[in-house]
Amino acid sequence: MITPFGARSRYREFWIMSGVAAVLAALPWLLTLIGGYTELATPILLWGMFALGFDILLGFTGLLSFGHAAFWGLGGYASGMILLRVSNDLLLAVAAGTVVGGAASALLGYLTLRRRGIYFSILTLAFAEMFYYAALAPLQDWTGGDNGLTGIPAAQLFGIAMKGWPIYAVIAAATFAGIYVARRIARSPYGLILRAIKANETRVASTGIHTRHYKFAAFVISGLYAGLAGALSAAYQTYVPTDALHWTTSGQLVMMAVIGGTGTLFGPMLGAGIVLYLQNVLSATIPQWLLVQGLIFMAFVVFLPGGVVEAGRRLARALSRGRKRQPPVPDAASVKGVGSVHAD
Amino acid sequence: MNAANLSLQLLTGLQIGAIYVMIALGLTLIFGTLGVANFAHGALFMIGAYLGYVVAEATNHWVAFIAVPPAVFLVGIVIERTLVRFFYNRPASDQILVTFGLALVLQELMRWIFGGTNLPYGTPPWATVPVDIGIGYYPPWRLVIVGVTAAAVLGLFLLLRYTRFGLVVRAGMRDPEMLGFLGIDVPKRFTLVFGLGALFAGIAGVIGGPITGVTPDIGMAVLVPSFLVVVIGGMGSLAGAVISGLILGEAVSLSVLIYPPSTQIIVYLIAAVVLLWRPRGLLGVKGVME
Repeated sequence: MITPFGARSRYREFWIMSGVAAVLAALPWLLTLIGGYTELATPILLWGMFALGFDILLGFTGLLSFGHAAFWGLGGYASGMILLRVSNDLLLAVAAGTVVGGAASALLGYLTLRRRGIYFSILTLAFAEMFYYAALAPLQDWTGGDNGLTGIPAAQLFGIAMKGWPIYAVIAAATFAGIYVARRIARSPYGLILRAIKANETRVASTGIHTRHYKFAAFVISGLYAGLAGALSAAYQTYVPTDALHWTTSGQLVMMAVIGGTGTLFGPMLGAGIVLYLQNVLSATIPQWLLVQGLIFMAFVVFLPGGVVEAGRRLARALSRGRKRQPPVPDAASVKGVGSVHAD
Repeated sequence: MNAANLSLQLLTGLQIGAIYVMIALGLTLIFGTLGVANFAHGALFMIGAYLGYVVAEATNHWVAFIAVPPAVFLVGIVIERTLVRFFYNRPASDQILVTFGLALVLQELMRWIFGGTNLPYGTPPWATVPVDIGIGYYPPWRLVIVGVTAAAVLGLFLLLRYTRFGLVVRAGMRDPEMLGFLGIDVPKRFTLVFGLGALFAGIAGVIGGPITGVTPDIGMAVLVPSFLVVVIGGMGSLAGAVISGLILGEAVSLSVLIYPPSTQIIVYLIAAVVLLWRPRGLLGVKGVME
């Protein structure tokens, strides 16, 4: 059975969002406590936002896209080009990046959503590669080709140079807004239909709902998140590598989402944090970090498709069982097909 | 541009298409019978190319051509037995995720062992110097690729058309459940089909390696257009895979003559047009594997 996502008291939502704000404010400092460094907080939030939008598509609607590098990368290129050629206003650059990410996802969604299941995954992978190759050769006068887009000047917002702490504050604010909006979407009747599509699309369609429109909207929403995150990333790094458009970026995103736990919104963000943290802490000692990450990812897919969030749930259940000595009643959110990665 | 030049370019298109066809046939066989979209199929091609380089360095090219495809066949069998078979009853997205993870792991494993640089896997000495084929001088190795692919496609056709194993595989592409009801050991056939797909990727890798280069990234670079070949041809249609593979190969080759930077994106434009015009693919049948 599908119940509205987190449909509990408004009071509870206030406390959850307060907790989010506290974590966002404390993240740079928290990272230093566990052997990371403060600057790591910014990429974690950027990838977290990317993964958050992706979860609306994968975790809620059950569509596995391997092409989101296109929206992240195009958002980055658009933002970088505005900063480089038009104006150093961050708002303008980020707005341009988000719009371009959304427009590209509308184009790709229109093409790829004509097919379902594995075809969708194959086609998103393939068409996203088209943008990579287009940026590499035919458009290299614009994109810088192999070198990527370099020499982007520091952006400004209300006269403040966007680097260091100010840009972290802006990115944290954007992440906060992104989480709030995603939770609103998840709780809405629209979010309910998305999860119904994931559970059984044929049945939803037979009730008279045009599922392709809903899937298209979910695809574009995730594209907007990707464009926003990519645009902020370009302003933060003052550089757009060609790799931003490469399939490895899409692959990273998918791995983060699955390792964290799809269908939970916070899970993929957690996954982004875990992957980036391990990558930065361990890549000094393990040169073949990507190999290790691939093995970790495979282990999750094989043994624990619900990711870290599911592991946490099982642990909590086991602990409460040990305390109460009675079988617990599974809560609605953990019933298969709602919080788990299973999608057909 | 004259007629001779154009025919040479068409021949190159045939060679590019031949590699796509080999990969796409394996993908279609595996998807058609096992229902698994194998994202690790490009990695099998890559393993074939690396093994080809190693064996050719240690001995000679002939040993490599004979020994490597069966070796990749065995790699395929091992992958199916130890990993993929546990995913037949899992959702399609899990199958994609696990084979994608495997592709990444194999790719990074090769990067670890051999480094990220292109290995100097050359063509055999007798196939290096261009020969006169009537319309101009042409590298014989590309002709070998076309010839081997034609032989492999013919062999596959004969296998599927005239043997009991082929009959079972074709039946499995139509209705695997019914096959089980008829008392056929479906899991064993599944393993062999996966191995057969791997064998094709191995052949493509060992003969295609000198052309495509031997790097860890080559697997994914070959897989993506091959996926498009399968979708354009119509999933589950072996003839469709051959036809669309050749169309894409020619398109890539001819786009060099018209506007060189478009070479890399022409396949995607064709795929987009086919999807809008015939979402099921050229030879796709309504209701089959959708």
